Amino acid sequence: MSDFSELENDLKALRPTQPSPVLFERIEEAMADCRTGASPARQRERSRYNWLSLGFGLAAAAVAIVLLLARINTDQTRNENAEIAQVSPSSQTRPVLPSVSGVNGEAMSSNKFISSGTTQVVYNERDEGLHFADGSRQPLRRLRYRTQQTWQWRNPSTGASLRVSYPSEEVVLIPVSGQ
Amino acid sequence: MKEKNFDHVDKFIGWRRLADKDREKVMDNVASHEDWKSCFSEIGPGLLLFARQWARSAADAEDIVQEAFVKFWRRNHKINNRALLYATVRSIALDFIRRDKRRARREATVFAEADPTVEPQFAWEDEAQSALAAAVGCLPHDQREVLVLKIWNELTFSEIGEALGISQNTAASRYRYALANLKKNLQPQ
Repeated sequence: MSDFSELENDLKALRPTQPSPVLFERIEEAMADCRTGASPARQRERSRYNWLSLGFGLAAAAVAIVLLLARINTDQTRNENAEIAQVSPSSQTRPVLPSVSGVNGEAMSSNKFISSGTTQVVYNERDEGLHFADGSRQPLRRLRYRTQQTWQWRNPSTGASLRVSYPSEEVVLIPVSGQ
Repeated sequence: MKEKNFDHVDKFIGWRRLADKDREKVMDNVASHEDWKSCFSEIGPGLLLFARQWARSAADAEDIVQEAFVKFWRRNHKINNRALLYATVRSIALDFIRRDKRRARREATVFAEADPTVEPQFAWEDEAQSALAAAVGCLPHDQREVLVLKIWNELTFSEIGEALGISQNTAASRYRYALANLKKNLQPQ
């Protein structure tokens, strides 16, 4: 090895080129990014912070839901007192529930329910065969439908909704013409 | 002993050879948040020279060094495990090559034979140093790799072996072959 000592000294005298100052800046920037978000220690801190935020978020959401439900219940109670919650036959033909006649316009608008949907689900259909109506010689096919009808209203100002669902039965007579 | 002041590092990155004790002190502190600049000013040129073996340009080598150094720092390894730092540079350099299909084709040849376009970069002062730098560039890759780690990065053979995944004896052997080749190539014809 001693034979190479002079050569080793010559090699050590050779100096590698310097990194560019830009590299220093880039590394510094990357280091700063690590400190603000990606270093292991910071990751642990951020993790704790996120769990804390999640906890507060969930608590806030729960409180908001409770308040919303309480408000809906209050509105519904008020509506019952104002005699609009009972389902009358006329409500079937009028999709918009009659609004409460309030003391002023603001109260009226806050209690106004708008029809937001109607569904009719036929869960049973029965063919009851041919029948002859009284005094008629033309046969009629009688079909009986059993349905579940649902009406839904929504108060846009309060967000409260009202849904009425009831079973219904419908008989349909279809004239049958012979060929 | 007077404390070293590295406030000038932003303006000028000096390269100098440290005594062993100073180097250990610097290396121990590189993982701290504040001292990476002073440490990088010491090891940066050597790291860059090491990375240049796989990179076609200084810019590519700097990309490799940046990624490796930051990755190493983020994992907060102790810098006295220098073998791991250089292994990280090597690993990222190979990934860097693989990312480019054109370079991936070159990867096999990189290890097989010296590539004159990927020679180490030095700031030589005279013709003799220029010839020496050229001779280093013409060494077989496995020998040049060990030489760069030993001479300009001051790793022990044990560390070199760990960084390159070879035995300590193989590292020492390649180093001797490198010196022998250099001496042979530098002799006047």
